Amino acid sequence: MSREVNFEKKIKRRALILGLSKTFFTFLVFGKLFYLQILQKSKYGKLSDTNRIKLKIVYPERGIIFDLYDKPIASNRIDYQLSIFKDKKNLVYDYVKKLRGHINFSEMDLELIKDNSNEQDLSDFITIKRNLSWNELEFFEFMKNKFPFLIITKEKVRNYENDLIFSHVLGYVGFKKNVTKKKLSNLKVGIAGIEKKLDSKLLGKDGWIKFETDSKGAVKKELNKKYAVPGGNIKTNLISEIQNKASEEMRGIRGAVVMINCQNGGVNCLYSSPSFNNNEFSDGVSLKKWNKLLADEFNPLLNRCIAGLYSPGSTYKLVTALHAIENQKFNKNKKFLCSGHVSFGNRKFHCWKKEGHGYVNLHEAIEKSCDCYFYNLAKTLKIDDLAKFSNLFSYGQRTGIDIPNELKGIMPDRKWKIKNRNEKWQKGETLNTVIGQGFMLSTPLQITLMTARIATGKKIIPTIITNKKEFENLNISNENLEFIKSSMFSVVNSSTGTAFNSKLPGNYKMAGKTGTSQVRRISLEEREDGVIKNEELNYKLRDHSIFTCFAPFDKPKYSLSVIAEHMGSGSKVAAPIAKRIMELALNKY
Amino acid sequence: MTEIIIKLKNLNWLFIFLVSFLSFVGLVMIYSATFGEESKIFISHIYKVTFGFILMILVSLIDVEFWKKNAYLFYFIGIVLLLWVTFYGYLGKGARRWINFYGLNFQPSEIMKIFLIISLAKFFDEKKFQESRDYFFLILPILIVTIPFLLVLIQPDLGTAMLILFVSIVIFFVSGINWKFFALSGLLSLIVTPYLWGGLKEYQKQRILTLFNPENDPLGSGYHIIQSQIAIGSGGTFGKGWTKGTQSHLDFLPEKHTDFIFSMLGEEFGFLGTLSVIGLICLITYITYHITSSFIHNNFNRIVGYGIITNFFFASLINMSMVIGILPIVGLPLPLVSYGGSSMLTYFIGFGITLSLDRGSNYL
Repeated sequence: MSREVNFEKKIKRRALILGLSKTFFTFLVFGKLFYLQILQKSKYGKLSDTNRIKLKIVYPERGIIFDLYDKPIASNRIDYQLSIFKDKKNLVYDYVKKLRGHINFSEMDLELIKDNSNEQDLSDFITIKRNLSWNELEFFEFMKNKFPFLIITKEKVRNYENDLIFSHVLGYVGFKKNVTKKKLSNLKVGIAGIEKKLDSKLLGKDGWIKFETDSKGAVKKELNKKYAVPGGNIKTNLISEIQNKASEEMRGIRGAVVMINCQNGGVNCLYSSPSFNNNEFSDGVSLKKWNKLLADEFNPLLNRCIAGLYSPGSTYKLVTALHAIENQKFNKNKKFLCSGHVSFGNRKFHCWKKEGHGYVNLHEAIEKSCDCYFYNLAKTLKIDDLAKFSNLFSYGQRTGIDIPNELKGIMPDRKWKIKNRNEKWQKGETLNTVIGQGFMLSTPLQITLMTARIATGKKIIPTIITNKKEFENLNISNENLEFIKSSMFSVVNSSTGTAFNSKLPGNYKMAGKTGTSQVRRISLEEREDGVIKNEELNYKLRDHSIFTCFAPFDKPKYSLSVIAEHMGSGSKVAAPIAKRIMELALNKY
Repeated sequence: MTEIIIKLKNLNWLFIFLVSFLSFVGLVMIYSATFGEESKIFISHIYKVTFGFILMILVSLIDVEFWKKNAYLFYFIGIVLLLWVTFYGYLGKGARRWINFYGLNFQPSEIMKIFLIISLAKFFDEKKFQESRDYFFLILPILIVTIPFLLVLIQPDLGTAMLILFVSIVIFFVSGINWKFFALSGLLSLIVTPYLWGGLKEYQKQRILTLFNPENDPLGSGYHIIQSQIAIGSGGTFGKGWTKGTQSHLDFLPEKHTDFIFSMLGEEFGFLGTLSVIGLICLITYITYHITSSFIHNNFNRIVGYGIITNFFFASLINMSMVIGILPIVGLPLPLVSYGGSSMLTYFIGFGITLSLDRGSNYL
């Protein structure tokens, strides 16, 4: 019997062991649950959020750029874009294959996909197609369910009101290149022009949308979003109509048109011809197209207004004359005989007028643009003094215009010659310099600025972005300035002036100076055989036509320069263009 | 008739309430799991729970003697069904587990557990403890266990097979078999294990291996464990709210209405939810212990009681351990909570027998 009792005890013991092991097991599970749900809650909470929440960056709208009269010249358009969920990027080519025929994937788009899929940025989505058309949108809306990992987003992208006319001054936007770690791979930044200069203001601040996706990456709903902050708007001094007029006038002509407001330095027109389509650039220009533009012999990418270098030609005579009477006590009534050439050393320096101007004084020399008068004047001038004085008119210096990549040109002096040519300055070179030839190179902006400064006697600084400033005086005597201005008046308004053809009709009076920028040096033999007429020359060797002017004469408002490459003398092409543009500006603004 | 009323009156209604409450938790979770999707599963689950409940009450009215008398017959029927399923079974998820019975899929391995428990109980009840030192008499019970174990294993249904083995070992243990027997069979299994391992299917091996380091292969076999842990962990103390679980509703959690329903519960009801379910299971287990331990000199009742509750308790905790990453994922539903008819009906039948044991018990 005791065995039976013992057995019962044994059974009870074993039941107890079983119960205890169950309790132990329970505590094990309890412990793990406590660990997961209480101790590690935040870790797993975050993991569950990373699982389901996907981030889409919303790019900010760039600020709008306005012209002087609040007309938008750079704004934004709506762009519908197709994006794929990043985790599913291996599907992209399969999708492209399926969507082809309905949605047009160009070579550019495929390039974009390739670039973007290697991008490591914040966004959980990759843009695979931009600029969806309405048909494409409609198609996708209809087929959406078959492509659960694609989403359509509405983006605002840069759009220029006019493809061509503002391209150089506004610049364009594009992707930052050669940046290894990008936060926002699809953010476009200003690459050139105002877009580049004022990028930080125009850019704005990006936002985001958080989507909830399921385990397969299909978007379920929008959770929340932070709106992107649009960039600041910018008002410029540009006048659309003038810019437009300049582009019309310069059709088929290479060159530049620059107009500056003499009262506040505002740049009203900055047009370089030929131009390029900055909308195309902002949408992303293909390498092929880019190379084609680079190889273009007319160099459409060059902003000739600030980076095109030309000999100022006879327009520079204004500075020479002013220097002589202001600093050298030169008697402006002194007459020199122009017989068509001047001998200096063992060289002959020729006037543009082969038969000569006869006896002329300084006023007439400017009016008729007599070279010989200035050769004679040059004999008593020191190049270093002239160079220093020219700096006042920004020659050889950057004007400080508020767009990047401005060139300063060349204002030669003795130091420059030694440094750059490793030779001593030859006196004969001064003779070339005083008429704006030789080593001297300047930008159309510098020429315009010279005119503006002569017209006002103030150290005008050109600005594209609105900011009125008081300008300091040039400290040149009024009498001398008036003398130069009156000479310029005669250039346009006197029947013997070089630009008499371009006299303004009506009440407005314009003063100006023609110039011819020599592209080649005329050899002695050629002189003797008779100088070849421009029209007969190879196009590339023909002279540049330059005209710079200001108006109205009594109260200068606009200073304007036109440079027409290889179009011959200033009076023939540049001056009439300038006249028409000035006429429009004075009548309308 | 009056006899039935008296029997009903004598039922342990607290126990019935706890069991029903657990099935109610199942209903709530399955509603959420199928929320916004097809409601077919939820409706079907309601039918199954109702049917299971009625079955439990019916079984509770049957006296225990009935099971004792017919234990081997049921065992035989069970084996026949298992053999049938082995050759003619309905194939699903790479395993032959189901019998299609008039359009209803039925899994004989589940009910086999009950038949095995009563057969072992009958055996150990008849063979007196004196013989427990003689190992040869154990050949028969070992065969009783091995046949269904192997039949289930080759389906293959690793989870149920392991549970059969485990419950059987517990029965041997509470029957008072000598320690030496366990030591010997432990040694034997050490020798046999490598051969068994070789016999496992590749996906089963993977499941066991990923347990040791789920992060190694987050999108492969470890993915389910990780996602399940994220679901439970992100639930925190109070959970994300009913039908608000992101892991479950956005399909990061696999099999959310069956094997991983506990993860979903953890996500939507938090630590309080999981704790309550564990508490409920412990309470049911405790009451069964209370009933069972009152039997003296009645090996059959005792073994049936321990067997049934062990089956329920371990199935529950193994399922939880799986989804929280303590044990490998072998594919076991959470008793009474997970969707799945055969398993739930089996537990209801088991509790019906427990209730009938309770009726016959003389504890106060």
